[in-house]
Amino acid sequence: MEVTLGLLDQIPAIDDGGGVPSGGSTTMRSILTGSKSKEDNKNTMVVSTEATSSYPVVVDESLDGLELGLGLSLGGGGGGLKSKTVVTGGWSQYARILTAKDFPTTLVSKPNSCSSSSSVNIPNSSTSGNKRTATDSVSPPNGTSVVGWPPVSKAHRMPNLASQMKSPTENFISKSEQNKSKNRTVGIKDYSDERNGITNKKYRSVKVNMDGTLIGRKVDLNAHTSYEMLAQTLHEMFFSKWPSKEAVKPSRLLDGTSEFVLTYEDKDGDCMLVGDVPWEMFISSVKRLRIMKNSESNELASRCEENSDRYRD
Amino acid sequence: MDPNPKRPKTVDRVDSVEVVNSSESTQLLCSIDPNRKRAKTVDRVDSAESTQFPDEVLERVLSLIDSHKDRSSVSLVCKDWYNAERWSRRHVFIGNCYSVSPEIVAARFPRIRSVTIKGKPRFSDFNLVPEDWGADIYPWLSVFALAYPFLEELRLKRMAVSDESLEFLATKFCNFKALSLLSCDGFSTDGLKAIATHCKNLTELDIQENGIDDLGGHWLSCFPETLTSLEVLNFASLNSEVSFDALEKLVSRCKSLKVLKVNRNISLDQLQKLLSHCPQLMELGTGAFTQELISGPVTEFKNMFSNCRNLITLSGLWDATPLYLPVIYPACARLTFLNLSYATLRSDELANLLSHCKSLRRLWLLDTVGDKGLEAVGSCCPFLEELRVFPAHPFDQQIFLGVTESGFVSVSRGCPRLRYVLYFCRQMTNAAVAAIAKNCPDFTHFRLCIMNPGQPDYLTKEPMDEAFGSIVKTCTKLQRLAISGLLTDRTFEYIGKYSKNLETLSVAFAGSSDLGMEYVLQGCPKLRKLEIRDCPFGNAALLSGLTKYESMRSLWMSACNVSMNACRALAKEKPRLNVEVIRDEDGADDSQAHKVYVYRTVAGPRRDAPPFVLTL
Repeated sequence: MEVTLGLLDQIPAIDDGGGVPSGGSTTMRSILTGSKSKEDNKNTMVVSTEATSSYPVVVDESLDGLELGLGLSLGGGGGGLKSKTVVTGGWSQYARILTAKDFPTTLVSKPNSCSSSSSVNIPNSSTSGNKRTATDSVSPPNGTSVVGWPPVSKAHRMPNLASQMKSPTENFISKSEQNKSKNRTVGIKDYSDERNGITNKKYRSVKVNMDGTLIGRKVDLNAHTSYEMLAQTLHEMFFSKWPSKEAVKPSRLLDGTSEFVLTYEDKDGDCMLVGDVPWEMFISSVKRLRIMKNSESNELASRCEENSDRYRD
Repeated sequence: MDPNPKRPKTVDRVDSVEVVNSSESTQLLCSIDPNRKRAKTVDRVDSAESTQFPDEVLERVLSLIDSHKDRSSVSLVCKDWYNAERWSRRHVFIGNCYSVSPEIVAARFPRIRSVTIKGKPRFSDFNLVPEDWGADIYPWLSVFALAYPFLEELRLKRMAVSDESLEFLATKFCNFKALSLLSCDGFSTDGLKAIATHCKNLTELDIQENGIDDLGGHWLSCFPETLTSLEVLNFASLNSEVSFDALEKLVSRCKSLKVLKVNRNISLDQLQKLLSHCPQLMELGTGAFTQELISGPVTEFKNMFSNCRNLITLSGLWDATPLYLPVIYPACARLTFLNLSYATLRSDELANLLSHCKSLRRLWLLDTVGDKGLEAVGSCCPFLEELRVFPAHPFDQQIFLGVTESGFVSVSRGCPRLRYVLYFCRQMTNAAVAAIAKNCPDFTHFRLCIMNPGQPDYLTKEPMDEAFGSIVKTCTKLQRLAISGLLTDRTFEYIGKYSKNLETLSVAFAGSSDLGMEYVLQGCPKLRKLEIRDCPFGNAALLSGLTKYESMRSLWMSACNVSMNACRALAKEKPRLNVEVIRDEDGADDSQAHKVYVYRTVAGPRRDAPPFVLTL
């Protein structure tokens, strides 16, 4: 998808004047559906993440510790996204990345409340008994997104954007960036990304499919520390019922001498042999695993292409 | 059915698998001997009392009762009725999967054919519950495989369902017929492949709003040529393309198909072909109505719906534009439920459409229709009972579009039969809500979401207390209430005092002190579910409900002011409650309980809790 930062300039203009959403979004639609592909959708629920996949991230290194993603100013907003970017001051701006100074000090009552998975704390929550008057600002600062608010369920989140984004493949925040930043966005904890299996410190599972088996399995990569461990787990999952054959010992899965070959699809969609890169690099780039029959593949490359096409149907 | 009035009513409301507090009933629960009942029948015949029904007759009579609430009442009458009820029950409803264990269910109800289970707390829909929290269906399935091998129906809401579970379901239950998954997650289309492949008698496959890994549309092609029993097929929420050829063939051979909801990839001309094969359809979810996918001019499609004489529900209609919307006009007169929540219509477009829809009972809209569109609703749909208005741009704070209080008031004027409303807006006034309550006193479900948290009446700048006060005072049948806006304890005082029938209350960014929550816990006799987020309620509030929680299904409190010690105290006092705290991932402040989930249970503490869930 050839979408550049320049496109961001155009977005506010589209909805300038408030306008009719359907009219305004036509332009968006034509930009984006032109590149609609047949690639499969990773997670239908997370429209927001898919929406952001077309737009490059603006990472401001000076905002240390904040995890950033760029939200669309086209009402794509905060809710399902990891970002807290919001259009302030009208449509003529880029979405601006909020920093700690955007929050009135009274609001953030605890040092780590930014990492709390709930919303920004209300001032009275730590001093119960204070009567709140109409003039007290109990709401988060204007323009801040609060986790899970407004309470719109998955089916009704961002219908306009959902209509424009058919099936982008890649998630736009690359895994290495996500792994780098440890802190969560202030006030936002978005589990929709975790459901994608993209970034989840505790449970990072990827799907494993084996040729000839209808149902795939899931394996938690964070629970493994090396290729050998992974091979062992996969062996237990797929080959434990086989009579103990020399051909399918765990170690042989890795070295290519067995009947099966362990491959994976990385974040660029390429089919790679497991074991070539260091483990850390592997974890950060793997999206899906596949156990292939060695006898069927003449050349790994052509085999992989074929498989990736099959996946993307 | 008149349960013995002398029997102490220990619980106000019972779910199908209820938690009864009296020791006698607990004995009943524990001492079920399936064989004992049969022997008793023999004895009884010998010493028959003329007033006593033989058990078989009683069972036959009770088998006609469907409502699980009535059945629960029946089971409390006496031992004989309890036994007759459990033998005759075919469907069990489990409102909270952790309130009971699958073993207990299987022991009590030997002849179940249909199961409905709900799992995660409702706020998991809004990302407030971490992934891998639980509610895995697999343990249930493995027990059911032994206890109910002839299980026919499974309906799940907010459960974690893996592909393995779906494969297990498809292969271990030979008579399985109906699967409905609403807001579930953890599975992919591979799991659907298993269902399609193995369930030879499938009548229903209903997939809605799930966190599903969509790996492609091949699953649909897995339905065998021999499958002709399908009555319900809903895959509207899946994004990838299915083989139209396979779909068309499937639809043609399933002559009993009543509900068909396709996904966005099905074009209008494809839909026309489908409809020609199933004119008997009652509920239809269309594909996209956008111009990119439509090939022919409108006239080609004008007869598309003319043969669908049974169609009463229409949904889908993604991106419907005024050019193609008239295609549905022929079907509008008979429609009772129209779901336009994916169509970004303007007020005039909606008005044109609604002028054809005289019979509407339920209407779902996007707020792009504006107040003017709602005026049209008020004038065209006098029989309307349910209205849901969803926000087109919920997360954009700067938008001033959408609907306001005046739209709501117009609807209330034209639709006095309104019972159910879900309304997202950015401004509201107390006076408007008072007028609405007066116009529509029959509300049973009133869910008002003023999208900016803690926002007052925008005209008077006062809190919105009087708004909800007028609702609870006027609408005596109110069962479900969701409140928003700037609210003080007064709102809760009203709620506690006036809403005698309230069962579900959702609170966010409201209240001034512990009193708020206390009012509700001390009033509201029928309260079952209380979910609270971001309110200043603390330990005193939590503990004021000590005697109440066992009569409720569950309590959720997040981002309030509750400490771990208070939770521990509650857990200690009430062993039949599970008091769970979900720990923050960056676990800073360990003395505060950031997310508390309290629910009654007969199954004891969870055995499958992940590390971040602490059971106290």
